[in-house]
Amino acid sequence: MVNFELNGAHVSFEAPATMTLLDMLRVELGVTSVKKGCEQGECGACTVLIDGYPMTSCIILAPQVEGRHVCTIDGLAENPLMKELREAFMENGAVQCGFCTPGILLSAYALLRDNKRPSEEEVKTAIEGNICRCTGYVAIIESILDAAERIAPD
Amino acid sequence: MKPLTGFSLLRPPTLVGALEMMSTLEHAQPIVGGTDIIPTFKDLGSKPVHLIDLGLIEELNGIMEEDGKILIGPTTTHTQILTSKVIEKTAPALHDAARWIGSVQIRNRGTIGGNLCNASPAADSAPPLLVHGAEAHICSLEEGHWIPLLELFKGPKMTVLKPNEILIGLRFPTIAGASSSFQRIGRRKGFTLSVVNAAVYVERKDDALKEARIALGSVAPTPIRAPVVEDKIRGKKMSEELIDEAAEACVEVAKPIDDVRGTAEYRKDMTAVLVKRALREAWRRTGGEL
Repeated sequence: MVNFELNGAHVSFEAPATMTLLDMLRVELGVTSVKKGCEQGECGACTVLIDGYPMTSCIILAPQVEGRHVCTIDGLAENPLMKELREAFMENGAVQCGFCTPGILLSAYALLRDNKRPSEEEVKTAIEGNICRCTGYVAIIESILDAAERIAPD
Repeated sequence: MKPLTGFSLLRPPTLVGALEMMSTLEHAQPIVGGTDIIPTFKDLGSKPVHLIDLGLIEELNGIMEEDGKILIGPTTTHTQILTSKVIEKTAPALHDAARWIGSVQIRNRGTIGGNLCNASPAADSAPPLLVHGAEAHICSLEEGHWIPLLELFKGPKMTVLKPNEILIGLRFPTIAGASSSFQRIGRRKGFTLSVVNAAVYVERKDDALKEARIALGSVAPTPIRAPVVEDKIRGKKMSEELIDEAAEACVEVAKPIDDVRGTAEYRKDMTAVLVKRALREAWRRTGGEL
C-alpha cells in the first residue's frame, strides 16, 4: 500500500512495484492533467511536483512516493501564482494543442516560486525538460516572463 | 515501449539493511532516481531483479566539507550539487557539469552516484571528479574500501562493483589556489548527452601551472585521464602556445568511435576545442592571465 499526499489530500493505493507514478495518477486515480507522452522522462508532459520539485512521473515507481507530497496543476487551481501563469498563457496564445501545457505550467510555477524575476535564459533552462511541438516556445517563454512581471512588477 | 514487469522494489531505511539485501538476494540492483534504469527497462525490457531503493538512507545523501576534503553522498541529486555553494567554490567544474545533466526534472531526481555507476562513457559527473582526484568508497556487508574513481569504470556501462557492493561515498581534497572548468558539446544546447566532454583542473603558482589535470569523456570506453598530456604541461609557464600544445596532445589520447551522436573524427576535433576552453577558463578562475 502506497500512502502519500496528492494535492493536499491523503491517498492510499495498492500499487505494485512495476507501476509508474504516472499510471497510478492518470489511469488508476483519474488525474488526467498528467499526460502520457514519451514515457522516457524526456518530454515533460507527465511532470508533477514532488515535495515541490518538478519531476517526470513516468520514470518514478509508484511506491517511491510513499510519504511524499505530489502536486499536479489541479492542486494549484486556486493558487495566485498559478492563476497569473494561466492568464498569461491564455493572453499570449501560449497554448495550441495543450498537451504539454500542464507540465510546462508546473515547471514555470516552480521557477517563479523560487525566482521572482528570472532572465529569459533562466526561463529557457526551467522548461528545457518540457517539449512543445506546436508553439515553437516563443509565446510560452513570453508568457512566463509576463507572469513574472505581473507578480513582481518593477 | 515495453511494459515494466517482473521486478520487485525494496526500500531499506538503513545502509546495513541495504547491504544485507545486496549480499543475500540474487540479482539485486541499487536504484535511487531511476532516471537511467527505468527508461532502459522500458526500451529493452525489465530485468528480473530486486531493485534496492537507497533513497531512504539519510547517511548516503548530502555534501560535507571536512578536514580539507569534500564528501558527497551517492544519493545527492544533481540539483543539490548545482545549488551547493561549497561545490561551486571548491569544484567549479562539478558545478558546471551538474547544470548540463538532463533537464530540471532529471536533475531533481537523478543522483551523482547513479550517474557514475551507470558508467556511461559520456557521464558528465565523471571528468570533473576525475580531475579533482576523487575517490570512491565501495562497501559490502563485510568491508569497505576507497579506490581512485578512475578504477570504478571497467567499460561502457560496466563498473568494478561486485554484486554485493554499493558505492556509498565520494571524496576529493580541497586545495587553495586551485580551480577547474568543465566543457561539453552536445547535438543541441540543453537536455542532451555529451558528444564529447572535458574537465581541466589547475593549480597556479605565479604564471606557471603548478599542477594540471585533464579528463575526457565520450572519447573512449570509459571516462579517461590524460596523464601523458598532464606530464607535458605540468610546471610550465602558462601561454596560448602551451594551451594549443595540450589540446593537440589530447587529440592523440582520445580514442573515440563513430556512433549516433557523432563521428570519431568530429569527436577528436572537438576534444581539442574543449580542452582549450577548459584550460583557459580554469586558468582564469585561479586569477591567472593569458
